[in-house]
Amino acid sequence: MKIIMDGKEVAAERGQTIVEVARRNGVYIPTLCHVPALEPAAMCRVCTVELAEGRRSRLVTACNYPLRGDAEIHTDTPMLRQNRKVLIELLASRCPNSEVLKGLAERYGADLNRFPGEEDRQCIMCGLCARVCERVGGNVLALCGRGVEIRVDTSFGRLSPTCIGCASCVQICPVNAIRIEDVDGERRVIVRGKEASRVPLRKCTGCGTHFGPVIDLDPVMERAGESRVPAFNASVCPACSRRHLAKRLAERHFEQHEVERRDAGEEG
Amino acid sequence: MATASSTAPDLAWTKKISSPQELAPYRRALIESMDPDAPRIRVCCGTGCKAVGSLEVLEAMKTAVAAAGADVHVMPEVKRTGCHGFCSRGPLLTLEPQGLFYQRVKPEDAVEIVQKTVVAGEVIQRFLYKPPGAKEAIAKVGDIPFFAKQTKLVLKRVGRIDPFDIRDAIAEGAYEGLAKVLAGMTPQQVIEEIKISRLRGRGGAGFPTGIKWESCAGQPGRHYVICNGDEGDPGAFMDASVMEGDPHAVLEGMAIAAYAMGSDRGFLYVRMEYPLAVQTLAAAIRQAEDLGLMGQNIMGTDFSFRTSISTGAGAFVCGESSALMSSLEGKVGRPRAKYIRSTEKGFRDSPSNLNNVETYANVPGIILRGGQWYTTYGTERSAGTKVFSLTGNVHNVGLVEVPMGTSLREIVFGIGGGIPNKKQLKAVQTGGPSGGCIPIPGKFIDINVGFGKLAEIGSMMGSGGMIVMDENTCMVEVSRYFINFLVEESCGQCTPCREGLTRMREILTRITGGEGREGDIELLEEIGQFTNSFSLCGLGTSAANPVLSTIRYFREEYEAHIRGKKCPAGVCKPLYYYEIDPEKCTGCGVCRKRCPAEAIEGEKKKPHTIHQELCIKCMECYRNCKFDSIRIM
Repeated sequence: MKIIMDGKEVAAERGQTIVEVARRNGVYIPTLCHVPALEPAAMCRVCTVELAEGRRSRLVTACNYPLRGDAEIHTDTPMLRQNRKVLIELLASRCPNSEVLKGLAERYGADLNRFPGEEDRQCIMCGLCARVCERVGGNVLALCGRGVEIRVDTSFGRLSPTCIGCASCVQICPVNAIRIEDVDGERRVIVRGKEASRVPLRKCTGCGTHFGPVIDLDPVMERAGESRVPAFNASVCPACSRRHLAKRLAERHFEQHEVERRDAGEEG
Repeated sequence: MATASSTAPDLAWTKKISSPQELAPYRRALIESMDPDAPRIRVCCGTGCKAVGSLEVLEAMKTAVAAAGADVHVMPEVKRTGCHGFCSRGPLLTLEPQGLFYQRVKPEDAVEIVQKTVVAGEVIQRFLYKPPGAKEAIAKVGDIPFFAKQTKLVLKRVGRIDPFDIRDAIAEGAYEGLAKVLAGMTPQQVIEEIKISRLRGRGGAGFPTGIKWESCAGQPGRHYVICNGDEGDPGAFMDASVMEGDPHAVLEGMAIAAYAMGSDRGFLYVRMEYPLAVQTLAAAIRQAEDLGLMGQNIMGTDFSFRTSISTGAGAFVCGESSALMSSLEGKVGRPRAKYIRSTEKGFRDSPSNLNNVETYANVPGIILRGGQWYTTYGTERSAGTKVFSLTGNVHNVGLVEVPMGTSLREIVFGIGGGIPNKKQLKAVQTGGPSGGCIPIPGKFIDINVGFGKLAEIGSMMGSGGMIVMDENTCMVEVSRYFINFLVEESCGQCTPCREGLTRMREILTRITGGEGREGDIELLEEIGQFTNSFSLCGLGTSAANPVLSTIRYFREEYEAHIRGKKCPAGVCKPLYYYEIDPEKCTGCGVCRKRCPAEAIEGEKKKPHTIHQELCIKCMECYRNCKFDSIRIM
């Protein structure tokens, strides 16, 4: 399989996506809705590249196009640059203060204020939070609504009962629109200023601080393919746990030492 | 005597057909049981005629026939049928054996029709169709240009049979193709026959059906055969009419496809807005299963094919193949971004064959008469016929089936009867919201309609919607309308379609509202190019077509809106006003009486004037002036 990327032959394995090949060979392709750990959704379209397989040349998204045979790929033609510029400008009307978009705008010469939006929707609709929630969390966040009204939300816009408070969505959001707040013994997941779920927190039996959400692990383990749920019922926080362990260890060693000393003393 | 009704007929006297050879004698027996001399009254109960009260006409006809029972020699049969096609003239009925065509019939006319026409054999003039401009009314179906100029392959039984009675369909030849296949064709032979016919997908993309079937058949795993009945284009009703008028053609086509691909499970994805189609299909499946023509061990062979109906919840995007399959799986109907054909991994990640209603309806005929026969219709690249729904500013609004390669002139003027109100033809919009507007005068009137030709000039075949537009159509408004439709129907997951369309709508609304700015046309082109090249699915990659094609052919109209602040067609309200030409005005007073805003003033027999500050631009005066004295300024 011979893959030519921007005029240079690059190393690639059959079945790899264009983005994978590009990353491995140090070729830059912009992405907004792609992380390697999740199945690509090809929603943002910014990674669109020109692909020539045989005689046919067409536009494909690099994040999810699997290379199966000889191909020539152009990742940065004037046409692509122009369209990426428009794409960034259009996205900026939803989310003008995003650092990610600012970076891309600089690269492609986009004017972030070309299409002034009515409101800052704080979201570039990459859908990463929804996808990671489906894979890792409790499938709480989803893309709701259709067309222009599409948005990230919980079922029926209500507080979700299935959230496990894992905060994967917070970690993954490229525009930092999701945050968690641990207050009053509860973890609140707040998506664009709106509360999405409340998960009770565990209270440490040692020191009394809250240290992590109470979660129902069964569905998570089921998704991971584990039949037996491992014991996850820590009642003490990591700090206390560390302290307890240190104490136990010390006790054991000190005891040992004491005995040894006592024995030695008796002999002497 | 079998009478047609909306409920399933009693099939208790039938037994299952136990071998493919048994269908022909069964058909003969059915035909013999029908009296050839019996008058047949076919009342169109398609959606269009139903809307103007054909069900009442049907009931009235039945009562009238029953009341006249003693007077007639042979008891006439009143039949409820699918769409006859001539929707603008409904409610319609045809009378056999004379072959009469009655239009705009009302329930209270039933007794008269039965007494005069059926009993006494006399033709009632006022129900006859008179073509625009003609002096003589036409009595017979076959003499009406609208019908005479059509070639009906797909629609051959639509409008003739009662869709709720399978025996009617069998008497007209339904399931013969399937019997032929089961009696001695291998799956390879079936596919070969379809390939010879050069049948291409009728849903819009025009992919060769035979090749699709072959690639699907070659895949391992359980195969699914899916029928796309999610016809959502504004102004298109071809698939609806086929499903409503001849559901058995679709089922038979699907069964043959299933046999060719080794499938035992099929789905009909029908949009919920077609309740009648769902009813007819459900009844058809039940009756065909009762007769052993569908379901387990079809016609006593080892071949089984079960099929069921799924209704879409009204999303246009669900007509896109991957979105349709998502929806069928019970997920949100959004297109999947996967570079893999659904014939490899489609529904439930299994090889799935998705075809349009019309494509399946073409299959039985091809099998029965051979692929070679099919290629005698149409052109080299586009074989066969195509059903178009002809709508808009044309006399004969309705459903027409013509061979591929028929010229637009023939369709619009020959069959469509031309443009009403002495207006000029301006453009024809084909291919639904993803298609384009073809400017007609002088330029493309003689273009042959086929897959390749329409794409060349910036439009597309689409599923067959054809909207005729006269000189009073504003092309900017047309593109705004379609973009607005698409904004509401976009699934919203990919950036170009969601954001690009929203912006285009904003710009177009601005232009039609009289606030267009210099540079808006270029901006539209820029966003349009972007949307068309970067979008995810078929809806997005063609979404800008209405805008781009109208800019391409009607740029001066956009410019008039933006620079001159004028709407030449007189559609965009802020951009025109009406004026009465004092030279032409005879002072007849029609406009003054018609004006709902009382904005027109004038003495009798003297030129009238319009008070612009009162005028609401409802067009009432313009439309009703017999002297052409009202001008759009």
